[in-house]
Amino acid sequence: MTFLVTWVASLLLIAAPFPAFMAIALPQWGLLFVVWWSLMRNYQLSITLLTFSSLPIDVLYGTALGMHAFIFALLAYVLTLLGPRVRQVNLVMQSVVVFFVLLVASAVSYWARTLTGLDPEFYILFTQTLASAIFWAPMRYLFERIANFTGEAGADSS
Amino acid sequence: MRPLFSRTSVAIVRFVIAVTFSVATMVVDVRFEALSFVRQALKTSLWPIEKLASAPQEFSRSFAQWLSFRVSLVGRLESLSLDNERLKTEQLKLQTLRAENAELRRLLSVKERFSEQLLQAEINRLSNDPFIHRATINRGFLASVKKGQPVLSADGLVGQVVAVYPHASEVLLVTDSTHQLPVQVTRTRDRAIAIGVGLLNRLELRNLPDTVDMVSGDLLETSGLGGRFQSGIPVARVIDVIRSPGQPFARVMAVPIAQLSRLSLVMVDVSTEGSR
Repeated sequence: MTFLVTWVASLLLIAAPFPAFMAIALPQWGLLFVVWWSLMRNYQLSITLLTFSSLPIDVLYGTALGMHAFIFALLAYVLTLLGPRVRQVNLVMQSVVVFFVLLVASAVSYWARTLTGLDPEFYILFTQTLASAIFWAPMRYLFERIANFTGEAGADSS
Repeated sequence: MRPLFSRTSVAIVRFVIAVTFSVATMVVDVRFEALSFVRQALKTSLWPIEKLASAPQEFSRSFAQWLSFRVSLVGRLESLSLDNERLKTEQLKLQTLRAENAELRRLLSVKERFSEQLLQAEINRLSNDPFIHRATINRGFLASVKKGQPVLSADGLVGQVVAVYPHASEVLLVTDSTHQLPVQVTRTRDRAIAIGVGLLNRLELRNLPDTVDMVSGDLLETSGLGGRFQSGIPVARVIDVIRSPGQPFARVMAVPIAQLSRLSLVMVDVSTEGSR
């Protein structure tokens, strides 16, 4: 249930219309969704579910189908391995870790977009990664509230 | 409960399977374009999410319109009446010119150039991905929209329909980095290809001879080559011609005439042949 609600919340944030000038500073909501699940609830996460949940995100962004599945798998792998250590540090340090992990994901995204015929500017991916790291704390709070609301709060929720 | 990637070997196997699946999906989608039915089904099922996500914006827009309606109703009415009178007069002139043009074309045995089956549509959302210039409009194949049909604004060309769903369509804007458009200069009839560079206010004409007769302010219109767009639709205005010494080609920068970042209403030319 928590997965469904957090996923729909992420889709709503992705689909929400923002002015074009804000595009360079929009957080990567889909990636933050995966970060939260990989760090905080990886024992409830299924790679199949993650892969199929990424397809609507590709449709909303207009990217090639499978591109977000690729990035999600990479993020889930890295963050599940880092998870136990990252959960021990404070929120600011977590944001720093999230920034560097998302920067790697952005580099992969840049490469995938170039392969699919787009001409992306890396600095925009960089600013979006920075915005995502800044939004990690509120996003984590929101998702934990959702988990509390659906009655599936984890042991690490605060 | 066990972690997603609990043991290293299992983790690698799961990771490899997920990556293989996603890369295969990307190749099938981009290279063979064989997943359009999946995209169409997903897009249709995402319609409630898109409506819900745009609800606050639509509400604020309606509220602002209601406020301005109350405040400036009389002023707007007067201004619109004046505009209406002026347009009526111009339409009379236009009708005469159109009849004259049709007669001349009939005498020259030339096909009628402009059709006028324009379908009004509203832009629901622009892609939030800054590298993809796609807009979703609120008309789909139930309103006779077909893939490949041109989309216009009151100023000029906006783009073309690239995906059609029952109640919505996706429009690839002329500024998308994957979009290329045959154009000609209105003044000299020189032809070129206008390429999107991923910026909403920029088009580029590359590989033009250094001696090309093009100056800042020139109007670019569709040339009709390729058969997708009728000729004569305004596209962009030249803002800079870069001639580098020693380089065989000049680069021309242009700005789209349609205000792509501020569009809300567009028109789809449904008279143009498209494909489902």
